Amino acid sequence: MSNTFTLPLGPVHVALEEPVYFKLDVEGEVIRKADLTSGHVHRGMEALASQRNLIKNTTLTERVCSLCSNSHSFTYCMAVENALKMEIPIRAQYLRAMAEEIKRVASHLFNTAIQAHIIGFKSMFMHVMEVREIIQDVKETVYGNRMNLAANCIGGVKYDVDKKYIDFILNSLDKLAPQVEEIQEMYATNHNIVTRTKGIGLLPKEDAIRLGVVGPVARGSGVMNDVRKESPYSAYTKLEFKSFLRDGCDVWSRTQIRLDEALESIRMIRQICAQLPDGPLTVKMNAIPTTQACARSEAPRGEIFYYIRTNGTDMPARLKWRVPSYMNWEALGVMMRDCAVADVALITNSIDPCVSCTER
Amino acid sequence: MEDIIKGNADVMTALDKLCSGKNAIQHTNDFFGNAFNWYTLDLPETILDAAKELYKHRARLAMITAYNREQENKEEKSLCYEFVIEGVVYSITANLDAAHDSVPSLSRIFPNADWHEREMMELYGIKITDHPNPRRLFLDEKLDKGLLGEIVPLSVMMNGASSAELWERILADKETK
Repeated sequence: MSNTFTLPLGPVHVALEEPVYFKLDVEGEVIRKADLTSGHVHRGMEALASQRNLIKNTTLTERVCSLCSNSHSFTYCMAVENALKMEIPIRAQYLRAMAEEIKRVASHLFNTAIQAHIIGFKSMFMHVMEVREIIQDVKETVYGNRMNLAANCIGGVKYDVDKKYIDFILNSLDKLAPQVEEIQEMYATNHNIVTRTKGIGLLPKEDAIRLGVVGPVARGSGVMNDVRKESPYSAYTKLEFKSFLRDGCDVWSRTQIRLDEALESIRMIRQICAQLPDGPLTVKMNAIPTTQACARSEAPRGEIFYYIRTNGTDMPARLKWRVPSYMNWEALGVMMRDCAVADVALITNSIDPCVSCTER
Repeated sequence: MEDIIKGNADVMTALDKLCSGKNAIQHTNDFFGNAFNWYTLDLPETILDAAKELYKHRARLAMITAYNREQENKEEKSLCYEFVIEGVVYSITANLDAAHDSVPSLSRIFPNADWHEREMMELYGIKITDHPNPRRLFLDEKLDKGLLGEIVPLSVMMNGASSAELWERILADKETK
């Protein structure tokens, strides 16, 4: 008689943020094979995009994802600007990077907090979410919104900051930075966290390369592919910053990468505030040719890729995007092999998954 | 800004041999100096040769896009494969036609092609040969292939949601069980 049986998990489950169905072959408490099925939140967004004009699609693409929302409109605008051969003003390049890094801090802290929630460390979850409120307040104050910032438009940005806003941002970062450093120290050493995250959810470097994973999932397995460094765009061509690499290949390493990046983003926002050049915020759109173009950027979860085909009208002939989670899901099959059933939610969270993003 | 050709010389030489058509090869840059090399294959099945060459040079498959060519008044579809090597994007287009209506799977070379190819098969009805895992990705097996290409009138779509039809079906299923 076989000792293995199939355990279904999801699509609706208390430990899953969004609907996804896992079919786990388990032997006792140990997972021998993991298979997943998605498709529960497909919204037909690519079809919608081909029925809207280029300007309206900035608003649509910002709604592909919540935590990476800015990265979508940012990359979409870059793809359109590449197609239309538009060079955006230098001040807009800096302001785009500022919005992107503010979102990165908020996104990484959210994932870190959820990890504590899954572990059952409720006080840590509450603490990280409370610290995250500082950057949420920055978003609300500067952009008027806590999630979708509406910062980007084709040809530049739709917002500006004056000295009053810059002072507010810098004061907020002064409050935030030491607390994030403290959080990183706790996630690196706290017994409750370390015993649940070190050596769990292993993704060896060769598997990370084979599966083409991106973002902190790749960098936690020793694979460097930060688009901001590899193909600098916008103000990243002028900013000085580090990309982080760890080789633990486990949940702990991926979390530490996210906290490394959150602290580096804080340094980058300070740099942007110090260097922000004067000048216009937008340029006018050029005539729309019949062409194709693509653009990519580094979202909090990794590389986002946009491809656009234009046909001389204001409606795109095709708009396609690939989100980082799309590349990272398959890695769960490797990470979950021979792990305990109790670690499934924790390992899933370690790829910082976005189901709605993946299915569009 | 003048476009400067950047990229791996061996890869570009190999891809050049597969693309002999007019305007089949183009090189563009964005305003930050990032390079994009565009290729249109003579024959769609040669995507496998292109993929093998790219794999040799440690390329990463970033995305595959399927699109229709209605604006060219053609019924067939095209596929655009995007690879990245050291920050340079190689976009390779395979145009399908009646004589060449399928492409070979790249999943055995680039395992991350699996999801892209399964999505193209179920949503756009693209024929992929030799796929190691041709299961549905998002849609249920009962739904037709190439569903995104179909036009469903709103009245038909709403029938199930706003009439008794859906509940009658559920009740009938329950009774047969």
